[in-house]
Amino acid sequence: MAKVLMKGNEAIGEAAIRAGCIHFFGYPITPQSEVPEYLAKRLPEVGGVFVQAESEVAASNMIYGAAGVGMRVLTTSSSPGISLMAEGVSYLAGAELPVVIVNIMRGGPGLGGILPSQGDYLQATKGMAHGDFDLIVLAPSSVQEAVDLTIRAFQLAEKYRNPVMVVGDGMIGQMMEPVDFPEVEVGPPLAADDWALTGCEGRSPRDVNSLFLDANDLHNHNVKLKDKFAVITENEQEWELYSCEGEYDVLVTSFGMMARICKTAIDVLAEEGIKVGLFRPITIKPYPYDACREAAQKAKRLLCVEMNMGQMIQDVQLATRGAKEIDFFGKAGGVIPSVEDVIQSVRETLAKTGK
Amino acid sequence: MTQSNAAIYELSTPLTMVVGSYGSGKTEISVNLAVATRMRGCRVSVADLDIVNPYFRCREAQVLMREHGVRVVIPPGAQQFADLPIVVPEIKGMLEPQEGVFSIFDVGGDEVGARLLSSFSEPLKGRPYRLLQVINSRRPFTSTLEGCIRMKEGLEESSRLKVGGFIVNSHLITDTTIEVVLEGFELAQKLSEETGVPIEFVTAMGELAQAPELAALPAPILPLRRVMLPPWLKDEPKDDSSDEKSNRMPAGRVKPLFVP
Repeated sequence: MAKVLMKGNEAIGEAAIRAGCIHFFGYPITPQSEVPEYLAKRLPEVGGVFVQAESEVAASNMIYGAAGVGMRVLTTSSSPGISLMAEGVSYLAGAELPVVIVNIMRGGPGLGGILPSQGDYLQATKGMAHGDFDLIVLAPSSVQEAVDLTIRAFQLAEKYRNPVMVVGDGMIGQMMEPVDFPEVEVGPPLAADDWALTGCEGRSPRDVNSLFLDANDLHNHNVKLKDKFAVITENEQEWELYSCEGEYDVLVTSFGMMARICKTAIDVLAEEGIKVGLFRPITIKPYPYDACREAAQKAKRLLCVEMNMGQMIQDVQLATRGAKEIDFFGKAGGVIPSVEDVIQSVRETLAKTGK
Repeated sequence: MTQSNAAIYELSTPLTMVVGSYGSGKTEISVNLAVATRMRGCRVSVADLDIVNPYFRCREAQVLMREHGVRVVIPPGAQQFADLPIVVPEIKGMLEPQEGVFSIFDVGGDEVGARLLSSFSEPLKGRPYRLLQVINSRRPFTSTLEGCIRMKEGLEESSRLKVGGFIVNSHLITDTTIEVVLEGFELAQKLSEETGVPIEFVTAMGELAQAPELAALPAPILPLRRVMLPPWLKDEPKDDSSDEKSNRMPAGRVKPLFVP
């Protein structure tokens, strides 16, 4: 297929269709509104269903219903809207429903602003909602990767019957880049699975629920979810190393679009003969701790760069087990650190190594 | 750089309104057209009328345009960063033709963005204006003749104005080839035959503007320099503007244009 020019938000919508998802429930919010806008036009063309819910709370429960009857389903929102969905996400995880949720993050807290941010890292990876559960969380750094990871999100959700979240900042949602849509082999409808609610004529009834009144049953359900995520952690970590061959004194850790700015900074520094490595987690949950530790080994000091106030630092600390000093540089609220900003902070970190 | 023989497009109508689908390139065209017109010594005002999308709007290029002597009409202060449908009163004044002044409206995307123009359809009656629809054959929904016609009808219905010309802006940003531009021109030609609306001009980014294939086209060219840069591209030397707030680029940065 010929390349097309798409906004990240549109590309995410189209990628969902290519992955076999033709059901969308959601509510508009800047800067992700082009996803519902795009799908409102496209889904009728492919025989799908688009519903603008009355709120994000409703949308998160609508995807529960759609997934429960075996439909591939997507919802998307931006930070405040995702917070509203939190209760529903816990229910989805508890009921082991294979849904995909996209968060095109804007500056917070509260109503915050409408410009790009990575301020929901901890929410997505650590504390989305009540109870013991884990989301798989993917962080693209380009429009093409947003396409690829949205498709991957559906595959992972179905493989593990676990909700998957794709997080991008407002820039990923809004910027336009040429993209290719890969040929996707769409699996059989989920309704064919042995858990989907498809009408029990001729078979025993099924139940899709997160309610376990018996304490032992609920304990066992929690253990099952924990064991499932251990398998996911074992199998599904993805990351990128950039400029990590050879020697370097400083390793930059960064995710999403911020990592792309860091790459340019690293290229500029390389022209000056200063070698800097970059570790970019693609699955920010499960976090590739071992890969991060390995990349950090060669470095004297680490620099974590984010569009927030330092939410990923604790994962880098866990990865390095406190063996390395970690500096932080970040901006929040919609201010995007420039290439020069990153170069300057790398120089400062470098100076602390005695170089 | 060698000069091709292509005719360069020049504004001739007092008011030009640029409409089209989301991401079709309205802002890049508006900014480039404004600066090019100013460089020929004309007075130019640009109004950012994008009230539907808060990213990549021409207000982000306001410092650049002002440096070139273009008047930029946008909501005041922090309101310019909001996703609110703010229309400043100066806009009404721009509907009135003035001797030697060109006005450009950079309108929001799709029929939703063009709806704002419907409030001008009465005052514009009998006044000279051009409503120009941008076509990029590599964008979803406008890659086919049917899609472009549907878009045109939607734009006209919501703006209560008539499209008076097509701007061929087929591109893939960094991956644009001359084939992509020519493919867009071919689509626009069919569109023109079908609707009776002429092709106003063809855009070409950077070096592509020099391509001999363009000189052969029966339409003038607007050479473009990319204005809205993503934040991972290396910074150009900073300008001296001390007004940091208004120079802030929320969704990307702005590259110096037509460096003397």
